[in-house]
Amino acid sequence: MTDRVTQEKWDAASRTFDLFTFADDRRLGPHKRRLFQKIRGATLMVAAGTGNDFKFFPPNLQLIAIDISPRMLERAARKAAAYQGSIDLREMDVCNLDFPAATFDTVATVCTFCSVPRPVVGLRELHRVLKPGGQILMFEHVRSAIGPFGILLDLMTPLSSRLGPDLNRDTVGNVQKAGFRLRRIENVYLDIVKMIEAVKDAAA
Amino acid sequence: MLFTIGDYLAGSILGIVTALVVRAITWPGMDMVIAMLVGMAAGMVLHLVVGLVLSPCLGMFETMMPASLIGMYGGMFFGMRDSMAAGSATHAAAAGVGAIFGVVVVLGVKVYDAILRGTVLDVGE
Repeated sequence: MTDRVTQEKWDAASRTFDLFTFADDRRLGPHKRRLFQKIRGATLMVAAGTGNDFKFFPPNLQLIAIDISPRMLERAARKAAAYQGSIDLREMDVCNLDFPAATFDTVATVCTFCSVPRPVVGLRELHRVLKPGGQILMFEHVRSAIGPFGILLDLMTPLSSRLGPDLNRDTVGNVQKAGFRLRRIENVYLDIVKMIEAVKDAAA
Repeated sequence: MLFTIGDYLAGSILGIVTALVVRAITWPGMDMVIAMLVGMAAGMVLHLVVGLVLSPCLGMFETMMPASLIGMYGGMFFGMRDSMAAGSATHAAAAGVGAIFGVVVVLGVKVYDAILRGTVLDVGE
């Protein structure tokens, strides 16, 4: 069942989403492009949003991109059409994926697990739909481990979560809780914005 | 380059606004602890407002993280100075101290970012 509260929140956020991500796309885009060079095989993008990140994918991919918000997907359709490859947009909740087990070789996420209300459940679903040996490539912001920054992010989260994401998630820990093995972590801004790469072990 | 200039400008603007607002709501002889708490609260509110306005131009985290430090610690610092009458004699001088404080915090965060940036785990394939 789709999480209606989350869906409505992101439907509302879709109106101003491109405005608030304008500068982030330009400052962080090169890092996303570098991360997504590692995409291989059948690929699922989670939380497509308004499609701002499609331009950072290498050309000629055939991927499925999901989002919980139909309003976001409406805005993403134009950017998907402009992509030099194929992007199949679908409305779906990451906590309840409509794909068989072991479907994908790669899962890509951008600022997704700051917003999923049950992140470990969502990550376990991604673990399920990945093939053994498959990889998850994540561009996420997390709680800082640095005292003053961490406290500030904790203080801001009650406000930010009403309009958008939580700012104090332990996404690296959640990835491990979901059964993934960490392969690589890179700090992009302080220790808050990170690129996280993890794999589903072949034996899993 | 433009973003970097924008970061420093945003820091100095928030520093100036925080210094002037704290000066307006505290006074010489005010209990210093209360002045610091009032300054901190005002700075926190101001950083949210200024941060939200500037983040579409400069990026959410690049704006909010220095702004939160300027708001919180700058508010306390300016409150302490004003309550002790140890600070700037004029509003212009207070604004100047605010601008310098903002720029120094942005510089400090950039240095810290340069230290933290990069690979922290790589176990290969």
